[in-house]
Amino acid sequence: MAKSSNKARYGRVFGIIGVIIVIFLIIIISKSPTTNNSSATDGKASAKIVTQITTIPSSISNQIGNGSSTLKASAISGKTFVASNGLPNILYMGAEYCPYCAAERWPMIVALSRFGTFSNLGTTHSSSSDVYPNTQTFSFHGSSYTSKYIVFTPVEEYTNIPNSSGYTTLDIPTATEQSLMSTYDAPPYVSSSEQGSIPFIYFAGKYLIVGATYSPQVLQNQTYQSIANALSNPKSTIAQGVLGAANNLTATICKLTNNQPSSACTPTIVGLEASL
Amino acid sequence: MFKKIKPVFELDNLRLWKLSIFGLVLSVLGISDSIYLTVAHYSQSVVLACPTTSFINCAKVTSSSYSEVFGIPAPLLGIVFFTLLFIIELPTFWSRKYLWLRNLRLAFVSIGLLSVFWFVYVELDKLHAICLYCTGVHVLTFVSFVTILFATEHHKSIHDI
Repeated sequence: MAKSSNKARYGRVFGIIGVIIVIFLIIIISKSPTTNNSSATDGKASAKIVTQITTIPSSISNQIGNGSSTLKASAISGKTFVASNGLPNILYMGAEYCPYCAAERWPMIVALSRFGTFSNLGTTHSSSSDVYPNTQTFSFHGSSYTSKYIVFTPVEEYTNIPNSSGYTTLDIPTATEQSLMSTYDAPPYVSSSEQGSIPFIYFAGKYLIVGATYSPQVLQNQTYQSIANALSNPKSTIAQGVLGAANNLTATICKLTNNQPSSACTPTIVGLEASL
Repeated sequence: MFKKIKPVFELDNLRLWKLSIFGLVLSVLGISDSIYLTVAHYSQSVVLACPTTSFINCAKVTSSSYSEVFGIPAPLLGIVFFTLLFIIELPTFWSRKYLWLRNLRLAFVSIGLLSVFWFVYVELDKLHAICLYCTGVHVLTFVSFVTILFATEHHKSIHDI
């Protein structure tokens, strides 16, 4: 009788455990994000806004200098990455969901536009459920860049659309691009806790940036137009962040181009090179 | 001091004693994990970067609005929960003298389990991300529940109630 009583007792226990496991499975299966085939990029970037942010007078940029930028490129002796035409190749690996990539694209566009011209930039926003939600930004997906001095290779690996494993995929990196990220977005180039982080910017094997170079906080609750307008005011926190970061990026690129062109590699920018 | 502490860890039933000790170990692990999460909740992120695996994203989870319950960081509540669990799982409290604690203990850990259901739902439905350290706390809570469930049934069979 004691045995059958124990049997009933432990049968109850296993029954309760079984019910709990079923509840967990129901939550996991029903709440896992499903694939969404909507377009990730919101649309084409406004030509007016792109022109506005890529023609900031040097007097404003020079006044800002380093601004509130908190991270500079670190010098590395990495695998040389040049384009087929021999120009230094700058690789960017990021994702549309990532709020730090969202922040970094603004100064990247400002800086790279000092050396060449973008076309077909898209607009998007960072994930609505992440830190710094819905940060308004551009997307490099589908864009092109021409320059006499450098080649820019952007890879937006994921959209901002959730699916069961995170976010839907966008651009697929080539084996070379993936190899560079696997090698240089890892110790000893970055700490083990930062391994694999994005944005990852590889400057032709000579410099490296992992992460945003200023705080995305300054872009919170801002529209494209309000951000573009703020760049004309050197005292604004947005200008201090975006243009400060753009100046540091420009200094890094100037190191690759032997300070060409002089319109980009101004004395202020050359002065920032010393800290790289 | 050891003479004062020792009786707390004494129990005349070996099986129940083992389950109790196992429960204590789980509680200590739970406290450690919760302390780490509390530090992560309060410390500002130094690296302004996204992890490459967007689904496993501790920064997103620990800094979300769901990481606080009535203004109190969830990990802090976790520390309180596992500390209280540690106390009520001490071997001495499984003795016949504390029969009244048996159902209270089970109810307490059940509340912990219900909160795990909520946090898992929030991670999957609202945040679309999980934090492995939070998942660790969830697993520890579940295993603590199972341990107490078994111990409670064994306690009933011993004391014939």
